[in-house]
Amino acid sequence: MILESQRFQPFTAEPIAVISESGEWIAPFELDLGPDQLRRMYQDMLVGRAVDERLGRLQRQGKVSFVAPSGGHEGAQVGIAHALRAGHDWLFPYYRDVALPLAMGLPLVEFVAQAMGSAADPSRARQMPYHVSSKALNLFSAASPIASHIPPAAGCAISMKLRGTDQVTVCTFGDGATSEGDWHAGVNFAGAQGAPIVFACQNNRYAISVGFEKQTGADSIYTKAHAYGMPGYFVDGMDVLASYYVMCEAVQRARDGFGPALVELLVYRYGGHSSADDDSRYRPRAEVEAWRKRDPIARLRRFLTRKGLWDDEAQKEADARIAAEFDEAVAQAQAAGDVPVEAMFEDVFADVPERLARQRAELLG
Amino acid sequence: MVQSIARTLDEEMARDERVVVVGEDVGKRGGVFLATEKLFDKYGPDRVIDSPLSEAAIIGAAVGMAAHGLRPVAEIQFSDYVYPGFDQLVSQVAKLRYRSGGQFTAPIVVRMPAGGGVKGGHHHSQSPEAHFVHTAGLKVVFPSTPSDARGLLKSAIRDDDPVVFMEPKRLYRAVKEELPDDLDALVPIGKAAVRRVGDDVVLVSYGGSMAETARAAEALAEQGVSPHVIDLRSLAPWDEETVLEAVARVGRVVLVSEAPRTASVMSEVAATITEELLDQLLAPPLRVSGFDTPYPYAQDREYLPGPARIMRAVQRVLDY
Repeated sequence: MILESQRFQPFTAEPIAVISESGEWIAPFELDLGPDQLRRMYQDMLVGRAVDERLGRLQRQGKVSFVAPSGGHEGAQVGIAHALRAGHDWLFPYYRDVALPLAMGLPLVEFVAQAMGSAADPSRARQMPYHVSSKALNLFSAASPIASHIPPAAGCAISMKLRGTDQVTVCTFGDGATSEGDWHAGVNFAGAQGAPIVFACQNNRYAISVGFEKQTGADSIYTKAHAYGMPGYFVDGMDVLASYYVMCEAVQRARDGFGPALVELLVYRYGGHSSADDDSRYRPRAEVEAWRKRDPIARLRRFLTRKGLWDDEAQKEADARIAAEFDEAVAQAQAAGDVPVEAMFEDVFADVPERLARQRAELLG
Repeated sequence: MVQSIARTLDEEMARDERVVVVGEDVGKRGGVFLATEKLFDKYGPDRVIDSPLSEAAIIGAAVGMAAHGLRPVAEIQFSDYVYPGFDQLVSQVAKLRYRSGGQFTAPIVVRMPAGGGVKGGHHHSQSPEAHFVHTAGLKVVFPSTPSDARGLLKSAIRDDDPVVFMEPKRLYRAVKEELPDDLDALVPIGKAAVRRVGDDVVLVSYGGSMAETARAAEALAEQGVSPHVIDLRSLAPWDEETVLEAVARVGRVVLVSEAPRTASVMSEVAATITEELLDQLLAPPLRVSGFDTPYPYAQDREYLPGPARIMRAVQRVLDY
């Protein structure tokens, strides 16, 4: 189904970009974002990058057990976030989503508290770092088993369709997830039901160390959309505005009842898979450096600078503000203290069953 | 029993418009065992959802539907086919409330026919309840009568936590029973039923094996032995109080279930009895069970713990 309002063709051979690496507008349509939103997108990427770096530091200091670096993913993630109606639409995230939940409005203290396992974590320190959830934001709880959130995301979208809620589900994942049976099961069900969902793959071309060519015999992820009866879009995920515009179109299409879409956002993971990974074993440094030159933050900054919307002064101010906000979030997370030991036995069920209550007593003495 | 299930689903769908049914062949076909018969005609494709042939999709989608506010009842055609959806049950269904600190919940029911005695070979006969009972966050029930199936299914649908609802397929059409008119005739999850009061030996069973246990009890009574028969009905949580009370009084217990013996639900019951009542026991708790083999095809009847095996075990605890 081709809509008249459509700006982008699905199944393009080259990734869709709207600003060039040197920061020029190259799309065949007019930019229709105001200065405020452009600056907000830029700063949302800065926040993602800063949180990534600062949590990495806390991990090396032993204050956080684990991090999943997301540097290089900020363009795709902020583009996705701005295409959603926060608090109305639903996001089924995966663990590398950092800038994305924050740009949707997740309070920084909640992200930091989750990573630190403090009592300020609304999910009560039940998960390892980088597994956020927020009922208030319709931000579903991230789970480690890869692609296990895809069928639930499909179900959420099917419910939206059945109940006619005008909502859209967005579900994010990496390239490795597309090899899981659950990915097929969920995407297939969503396709069969014509459910309002956008599957957004942040393809950084590595599943820990396994390269894309060993992940699939296909050349790309977005072409797999053919098999599920939905359009597939190929996007330069290092271009936040391309990510935003394509996601907007896919989301609107879903909201208007035209069913799901698969969007592949080509990104790069600057860091290792996690703080427990040594990526120098499998990735040449030259490759990492080449991708860093395509950085989504630097790219939008060049664009904003050209338009006179950003300068060194603004950068200095933003960096200082974000650093202060991060410090404040850490302080708040620490001040909240630890979750009490007995909380281990809660939320298994709505009520603590008798048998579990006895086990709790056994622990507490 | 299968008619009771279809009727209960109808009653609950009429009561609460959030209740939807999702699974393979649940629509026009009415389910391969007819457990969703007539629902499609009455409620339409928005509430009786024919899914693709994918257990992961069925159970996983139910999680998302539930998180979004529906009350899905998922049907897995045979419990033997639940394994592609097992990751969903263990990683998503069982842990959603816990891992989100109670922000998100998965109030779903996953129905599945289980157990042998229908000449179905190993892929239509298994009793996988121990897997679910071993998974924190799941409630598991396994009724043996039409009225319990109705009362427990109502409780399961109205429960705020996920319930694995196992149905003894060989009893689907074995028993006739008048059901009460009361639309709120709930059977609480976690409560056992005493089927027969006796003084010489306690027989504990559930699901399909209740039929053979009842026959064994009849035969024992004819021989002058007085059996006390408990139908667990719920396996997680299970009714420790009712079981321990009876075993403390009688001192002898035989645990009957067709599931493979090792690390079975009855192993847990036996361990609990031993931990709590060692000095009141007159004999060790004995399990009569399926064997630690894949469920056989040709030896379908021999695999099941029939009355003869149950009575031999009773003789052993009486002679101990």
